[in-house]
Amino acid sequence: MPQSLSRVSVGPDRPVVELRGLSKRYGDLQALHDVSLEIRPGEIFGLLGPNGAGKSTLIGCITGLVVPTSGSASVLGWDVGREYDKTRQVVGLVPQEVNYDPFFTVEETLRYQAGYFGVRLEEEKLVEILRALDLLSKRKAGTRTLSGGMKRRLLIAKALVHDPKVLFLDEPTAGVDVELRRDLWAYVERLRQRGTTIVLTTHYLEEAEALSDRIGLIDQGRLLLVEEKETLLSTLGRKTLVLHLAERIEVLPSGLVAAGAEIVDDGWEIRIRRPAGEEFGPLLSAAANAGLAIRDVDTRRSTLEEIYVELLEKR
Amino acid sequence: MIRYGARTLFRKEVRRFLRVFGQTLLTPVVTTALYLVVFGWALGGRLRVMDGVPYLAFITPGLVMLAVITNAFANASSSMFMSKLQGTVVDLLVSPLRHGEIVFAMVGASTLRALLVGAATWAVALLFLGGVSVAHPLLAIAFPLLTAIGMGAVGLLTGVWAEKFEHVNLVPTFVITPLTFLGGVFYDVGQLPGVFSAFSRLNPILYVVEGMRHALLGVSSVSPALALLGLAVFDLVTVGACIGVFRSGWKLRS
Repeated sequence: MPQSLSRVSVGPDRPVVELRGLSKRYGDLQALHDVSLEIRPGEIFGLLGPNGAGKSTLIGCITGLVVPTSGSASVLGWDVGREYDKTRQVVGLVPQEVNYDPFFTVEETLRYQAGYFGVRLEEEKLVEILRALDLLSKRKAGTRTLSGGMKRRLLIAKALVHDPKVLFLDEPTAGVDVELRRDLWAYVERLRQRGTTIVLTTHYLEEAEALSDRIGLIDQGRLLLVEEKETLLSTLGRKTLVLHLAERIEVLPSGLVAAGAEIVDDGWEIRIRRPAGEEFGPLLSAAANAGLAIRDVDTRRSTLEEIYVELLEKR
Repeated sequence: MIRYGARTLFRKEVRRFLRVFGQTLLTPVVTTALYLVVFGWALGGRLRVMDGVPYLAFITPGLVMLAVITNAFANASSSMFMSKLQGTVVDLLVSPLRHGEIVFAMVGASTLRALLVGAATWAVALLFLGGVSVAHPLLAIAFPLLTAIGMGAVGLLTGVWAEKFEHVNLVPTFVITPLTFLGGVFYDVGQLPGVFSAFSRLNPILYVVEGMRHALLGVSSVSPALALLGLAVFDLVTVGACIGVFRSGWKLRS
């Protein structure tokens, strides 16, 4: 690693990535509109949005694939345009589109990729990455012989060879099986524990919910919100309480009517939806006091996906 | 000092053409050997002598330069175009490699391939000629080297510009091959009728062919110094254009 980079220290308050008024226009299309954002050190930031929302353009502006029309982007305080050789040294990218060079083996591909970053890939490091991505048995295999899932694993391995401080995962699990997805989640968690900052875009909301510390929602090039995942789930989410009854009812007890309860399943269930921050204790007491014969109780929190859909529909 | 990243890309580019050496090294040599057989041996029997040297020896410098020009161009253009097509150009664009380093590595590998094919072509010609004689050894290195650098850079620019295979073939089909064949590879332009001879002197390929002829045989219808100077300017302009293209991101970054 270049000497100048060894002096880099990331304080807890200093953003790893900083975007200020970033815009990108393609002809008549405003792909990004005045986006400002700070990515904190060591976090997993989930960037969500529908197709064409601007997620990949945003990542491209930071990684060097897209030239912004206006605004600025910096990584560890270095401007991505003027000091591109420094910012790219600490950034890793897993692009959305699978790519591979059919002339080379898996090992050669990784060694060359590390070399571009000035890194001589140690055997120990190579084996660790290959093992983590279940590619060890394919080490000497030509890249053209790999299956689609394995090519995607290789793509991820390439982004890790230079130990990036910030890793951008642009739809990393698109088209891969559940097993690989779970493996990747586990590896992303390991990277985070080592201090790697991760920016993740995904269509799998379950993935974003499982991994992210913070969520950013982007649509039509505008960053609609940035929020802690837990805060998002508790403030914008809903909790649902379902009371399964032993005896059928036709009229709701008055104590539950005020809470917005409704009778479902032809009188055999009562469903109550409340903001995620509220507790159900008082409602359960009200139901017991009203003499309801409760057979069973279910509770459920809104998923990130439901919140995401609701937010986009409000636009 | 050349950084490790640039050396890595250079090694990778060299390994790439060595992996398919039958296509990248052997085929061009066989093609040139056929020219030697047909033009040098078969037809040369009738022509005997050109500019005071045997016809086979006369066409050898031009054939060496034909190999250098076409291979330098083909290597850089196909490597860049294929990496765009396969999407692996992203690996370069997100790397900390400087613009000049990418150009150095890609043009450098193309230059090496061109010089290997050029040397192999000359070696084959020697089998027909039956002896080694180089009038100006340093110039015999300088002309192919400078030509390969410039044509590698033109190939790189073409690879960046091209959006389909057809584009990659446009330059060799409509520019390089006609200019090379009309650039005095097989004949002495000085023997052409006045207007055609004058017209031929506008062809830049003529100067590299005649420059190499001077280097190998000691005969030339143009000034070797002028040819060398022209080549140096050509290299500066084309390599500079490559660096400018990578810096601007034209056709590479959106």
